Amino acid sequence: MEPSGPRSRMVLLGWAVMVGSAAGVLALGLLATTITERRAERRLASVQFVQPIGEWEADNSKWGVSFPRQFSSWELTRHMSDNTRYGGSNVRDYLSEQPLHVVLWAGFTFAKDYSQARGHFNSVADVTATKRVSATTPATCWTCKSPDAPRLMAKMGVDGFYAARFADLKGEVRNPIGCADCHDNKTMALRISRPALIEAMQRMGRDVQKATHQEMRSLVCAQCHVSYYFADPKTNRLVIPWDKGLGADDFDRYYKEVGFSDWTHAISGARMIKLRHADYEMWSQGVHAFRGVSCADCHLPYRSEGGVKYTDHQVRSPLYNVAASCQVCHRWSEGDIRQRVYAIQDKTLELRRIAEAQLAAAHLEIGDAMRLRATDLELAEVRDLVRRGQMYWDYVAATNGMGFHAPQESARVLAKAIDLARECRLQVNRIRARKGAVEPLAMPDLSTRAKADAFIKPFVEAQRKAGVASNSAARSGAPLASPSPERASR
Amino acid sequence: MRWRVPALSGVPAWLRWATVASTGALFGMALYVARISEAASYLSDNPDTCVNCHVMFPQYASWRHSSHAEAATCNDCHVPQHNVLARYGFKAMDGLRHSAVFTLRREPHVLRAIPASARVIQRNCVRCHTRVVADVTGPHAATDRACIDCHRETPHGRVHSSTSTPNAAVPPLSPPAPEWMMLESRR
Repeated sequence: MEPSGPRSRMVLLGWAVMVGSAAGVLALGLLATTITERRAERRLASVQFVQPIGEWEADNSKWGVSFPRQFSSWELTRHMSDNTRYGGSNVRDYLSEQPLHVVLWAGFTFAKDYSQARGHFNSVADVTATKRVSATTPATCWTCKSPDAPRLMAKMGVDGFYAARFADLKGEVRNPIGCADCHDNKTMALRISRPALIEAMQRMGRDVQKATHQEMRSLVCAQCHVSYYFADPKTNRLVIPWDKGLGADDFDRYYKEVGFSDWTHAISGARMIKLRHADYEMWSQGVHAFRGVSCADCHLPYRSEGGVKYTDHQVRSPLYNVAASCQVCHRWSEGDIRQRVYAIQDKTLELRRIAEAQLAAAHLEIGDAMRLRATDLELAEVRDLVRRGQMYWDYVAATNGMGFHAPQESARVLAKAIDLARECRLQVNRIRARKGAVEPLAMPDLSTRAKADAFIKPFVEAQRKAGVASNSAARSGAPLASPSPERASR
Repeated sequence: MRWRVPALSGVPAWLRWATVASTGALFGMALYVARISEAASYLSDNPDTCVNCHVMFPQYASWRHSSHAEAATCNDCHVPQHNVLARYGFKAMDGLRHSAVFTLRREPHVLRAIPASARVIQRNCVRCHTRVVADVTGPHAATDRACIDCHRETPHGRVHSSTSTPNAAVPPLSPPAPEWMMLESRR
């Protein structure tokens, strides 16, 4: 058919426009369909759940169904291999290894029982078994022992959780440290589940939500592997003391300002701080942190199985797996690396032992000055010195790694501890001399735990008889220099 | 007879409207395609863009589990960096090739760099590791051997396969439709 006039030409052009745009839309529609299809494939290829995991699912095996490699490597934290020289995941009775600790903690629960924590799998069993837990222990102690803790916090409210008793939640907390402690249940991304860390970062003006992935690979550990204290005996709120910074000197200034103490020492009457493990803090001052190496890089190294590379969730000392952790960067033999680590740790221990001998002597000499009727006013300064010295010592002693995480800082902090203890002894011996005791105090035999236990026993009993519940008196917030009642009467 | 484009004045109103409407429909459809294909993201250097398609999951996951994740994005190695024209030109060519292969479902199970890509990668190795390779002169420099011919594990590992990273943790795509229209938000 011949287009005869402008009118029929318009009709044809109209058809052409319609067919053309129809073809265009059809082509784009087909493209859209394949894109949609490939988007669906994408979902199948990414994180796959055999069954969905609920919010705050505390049962680790439920996560294990979908993530068998991570789960089964985590399960291995149950096993106890041989210990490394200073750490490891096996049972280790610190008080038998270091009987002087009994003297340093006389009057406090740590003098009753202080053992090495085993692997994450055993966290609930270990915290239930320790003799440090009693009828008055707050539920706050569960905070770091189980993914049931954030689940219960979501249910009871954070304040409600802290206000409960440890014994009240015994049936509720069943699952050991595991998946939900660090992972989001939908995306598996790392997430902070413990409010104390979020609050501590906030007080420093930092927003945890803005942390990078690599920072998160340390911060999830920092939820628990940090120093902490229970700020108020009424609320038992968990507080991470980072307001002034993460260093030992910052802690020293912080505790001076808040005037907190964990207990009154049974021998010296000093109001003491039991500084808890400053693992993250110490790491942050070491060369590995400086170079951006996270906790996970060494303690949860990557593992290859066939073509699959995944994070080995058997959290443990890198010395068990030097090849996958240290040797990724350090190209020396395993033997050389181990020797290097032990050389740092041996030296740290040597310094630490000097510090604890000085601190123990300081406590004993203050006790002797009290026997010689020195007044609390006379002893206020030396008690403060031993309190501070022991805090510095604990900054290294309580922390995992025996100085390895920041060797120079560990040595510096122990030097401060030794200096403070020596200064304390110098002054207290002047007081003793004024009271007529010019000879040095004879040190008792404290070479075994049993001997140390027997030595502190009369002091602890006298303290109990004096009617001072060490914890409540110590936490009452009274100024540090004020005389403690049980000593004033002696 | 010869066709002539009719003068606009001669086009009847109905056809003008129909043309505008058809063009609008076409344009709307194109917008939808741009949206679900995350077209705008390709202008960025964000590695998340490279896993808009699941074919790159193994490469993304192995990169993210490598030390290079701390220092280099995908584009730092895979796109020329010496000038902005080369950068976007190469990116456009490479991207169009990828999307064509992908749409036609011709992607292999094991991805390998094509020669043009290998040259870019080699240049970018040297770009950052200049000081390390400063001493590599003479016969070594004269060979056609590339850094990754020996450093084969860097950074994607040795095993390349579309199945080598089950459960890869990758960032999610933005939803194809507003959240309230999606089934998942109703649950």
